[in-house]
Amino acid sequence: MREIKTVTVLGANGTMGAGSAAIVAAFGKAKVHMLARDVNKAKEGIEKAISSIKTDTIRPRLIPGSYDQDLEKAVSESDWVFELVAESYEVKEPINKRIAKARKPGTIVSTVSSGLSIARLADAFDEDGKKHYYGTHFFNPPYKMILCELVTHAGNDKKVTKKLGEYLAKTLGRAVVYTNDTPAFAGNRIGFQLINEAAIKAEEYSDKGGIALIDAIMSGYTGRAMAPLDTADFVGLDVHKAIVDNLYEMTKDAAHSTFKLPGYFQKLIDKGDLGRKSGQGLYKMTKTPDGKKEKLYYDIKGDLYVPVPKFDIPFIKEANRRIGEADYIGAMNIVKEAKGLEADIARYFIARYVSYSLSLVGEVVETKEMTDLAMGTGFNWAPASAFVDFLGGPKEAISLITKAKLPVPEILAKAKAGKPFYQLKDILDARSLFKG
Amino acid sequence: MKDAVYVLGGEQTDFQRNWTKEGKTFMSLFREAVQDGLEKVGLTPDEIKKLNKQNRIGVFVGNFDAEQYAVQGHMGAFLTEVDPCFYGVPGARYEAACASGSVALDAAQTKLRSKDYDVAIVVGMEIMKTVSSSVGGDFLGTAAYYEKEAKGVQFPFPKLFGKLADVLLERYKLDEKRYMGALAEISRINYANAKRNPKAQTRSWFMNKEHANARGGEFNMAVGGRLAITDCSQVTDGAALVVLANKNYAEEFAKKKGTKLSAYPKIKGWGHRVAPITFDAKVAESKGDKWVLPWTRQTVKDAYDRSGLNTKDIDVFETHDCFTSSEYAAISAFGITQPGKEHEAIEDGVIDFNGKKPINPSGGLIGAGHPVGASGVRMMLDIYKQVTGTAGDYQVEGAKNGLMLNIGGSATTNYVFVVGK
Repeated sequence: MREIKTVTVLGANGTMGAGSAAIVAAFGKAKVHMLARDVNKAKEGIEKAISSIKTDTIRPRLIPGSYDQDLEKAVSESDWVFELVAESYEVKEPINKRIAKARKPGTIVSTVSSGLSIARLADAFDEDGKKHYYGTHFFNPPYKMILCELVTHAGNDKKVTKKLGEYLAKTLGRAVVYTNDTPAFAGNRIGFQLINEAAIKAEEYSDKGGIALIDAIMSGYTGRAMAPLDTADFVGLDVHKAIVDNLYEMTKDAAHSTFKLPGYFQKLIDKGDLGRKSGQGLYKMTKTPDGKKEKLYYDIKGDLYVPVPKFDIPFIKEANRRIGEADYIGAMNIVKEAKGLEADIARYFIARYVSYSLSLVGEVVETKEMTDLAMGTGFNWAPASAFVDFLGGPKEAISLITKAKLPVPEILAKAKAGKPFYQLKDILDARSLFKG
Repeated sequence: MKDAVYVLGGEQTDFQRNWTKEGKTFMSLFREAVQDGLEKVGLTPDEIKKLNKQNRIGVFVGNFDAEQYAVQGHMGAFLTEVDPCFYGVPGARYEAACASGSVALDAAQTKLRSKDYDVAIVVGMEIMKTVSSSVGGDFLGTAAYYEKEAKGVQFPFPKLFGKLADVLLERYKLDEKRYMGALAEISRINYANAKRNPKAQTRSWFMNKEHANARGGEFNMAVGGRLAITDCSQVTDGAALVVLANKNYAEEFAKKKGTKLSAYPKIKGWGHRVAPITFDAKVAESKGDKWVLPWTRQTVKDAYDRSGLNTKDIDVFETHDCFTSSEYAAISAFGITQPGKEHEAIEDGVIDFNGKKPINPSGGLIGAGHPVGASGVRMMLDIYKQVTGTAGDYQVEGAKNGLMLNIGGSATTNYVFVVGK
């Protein structure tokens, strides 16, 4: 692989494009052609890039340009072309054709697609181009979320993959997760499975608090910085839809039915209520008459926003207390033994998360450490393997999964008792992801 | 030194963590640090119980300011909350500002040398993100002469070490651009080293010399005279633990582990000196001296004398880079260069990770983080890792002897330990 000195970023005005360009210019000290639909948009991207990484020193290395005027020249002098244009074959394929014509042999071309087939996108290129074509799936915002899924396809050369992985990890400081060319790769497949199933359950229990209830159950003590439906609101319901629709169409695994987008999501999308970016979605912030901020949630049945109640769920309080005292096993024991609907839901989702994460080993990734790293650094969710340890080991985890009537992953069934199941302790302290 | 004290190992917390954001307290930090540390060393609750019954074990806690940051004193007694095996074990808290960890280590080694105890568990801890940085800055001001140097001053310590930068520049008539460039290089090296350390606070942060040199403006604000944000260590939550033992126990322990006593490094030398507390008094006293911080230099010399070693014998240093100016001054205190020539060692790559005298392969306080009461213990742990070849990606090849310098206040309390096999 050539030394990466010059990079072209396509889609440089978006949050992901600008943020990724900043990483490449700062950590990689590369000259970056920032391309957008027009130069002014590219210039906006440069300002975004600078503020995302908080250093003006990258400014001289960021060169604005437009697709129409500058693409061929920029690509021809680049060692890496990083494409972050809209998530569809219709947009990406014509651009790839232009890149394919302009690129010099040995130039890496990669896409930040979160769901499209890398092999299909690679088809626009000649043999050398195919060999150097990858998915480099960065997460939002790139400076804070250090995950990069490096997606390979059958046409890649292992030596190039290794060198690119080293560059992403050692130079750009990414947590590199190697994945196969499967729908949504590792992070989003696991993350959006859980989010969408949470959305489905929210509808099922809409008379008991719906969205707010499910998020309250799946809060910090279950090892996530942000509750799942809040996450959907943060990423945007349209983005959520694109990912789960693709997964519903492209996968046929045991969780297939859970990728079906709930009707109320579609209803909100149709109204333009896409989440935080459009002001309201699953949640809405408002002010009370006395000027205090108030969070409302979308009441699915009533089709209106109502205040998020303060749920009084004793086992959650106790689990939080235990986490607050760094007693992670104690907290999971509380969850395991608690009675009632809320506890049943909590157990089901913990079981589902562990079961589904580990079930992807072999198909999407080679080792469970890859799914653990993806969830820990891309979603800030406690990795599945850490749950296994805190639940008391593989036997206890299998028991939880069996009770939830979910498939027991082979890797868990074969695990030896008495040894820590989580192996990334020295890279990622999973305890830090549990909030008390 | 006779009556050797051995380092059996230890562990630190991930200094990237923000325990308040995690909804956890000083106690959780303490608990995880102790549990992880003892597990790593292989000192079991049953063994601690046995040692306690024989009155052979003590606990030494380094902590600066839990009263203000966590509204809790009496830190020496808190191991009893971690595990009942600590009921009855003598324990106390030791405080000397940012050298609190070292004063705890010193108390521990003294008890071991005198054979009052055979085993010492030394924990350093500080939780600092419980308050805003300006409130925390005021708390830290009590490590100076608060009434004279910190009261009403926003971020007093960057200002005091900014003054040190001024004095160094003036005293040695240095070229300002070259000198500030050397300080920026110190920052670059520490951040670069931190990237190899999986427990370092800044391991995923961006930094290069260009940025460190671009002082002023919104992205690298000036905070203390010439010093900008990139010249400063960070506000950090963290704890570290090491287990020390005298020969009585180290031999027993080695046998139990199926290894040799020689597998464990020894504290070969130490130094402890206290300089005048106000920075102005320090400067006034040192006029005419070769070193701007003569007591820091004397502490290093004391440790060299006690160990029978000198600069040439030290393969790796961990220094107290609370600010780039303090690391700059330490270079000549270690004897790596003559005073006023420190920038030459920096420019020539002598203190770089692959240099002849690498300083702070861990990332130091600037890169790895600076939970004040934990820093001394963390340095001891890092020197232990280096001389036992267990520092992983930040291992300095072939390190046999290491030296740590831990200071409290504006180089007021100075502590040095030399550790090697």
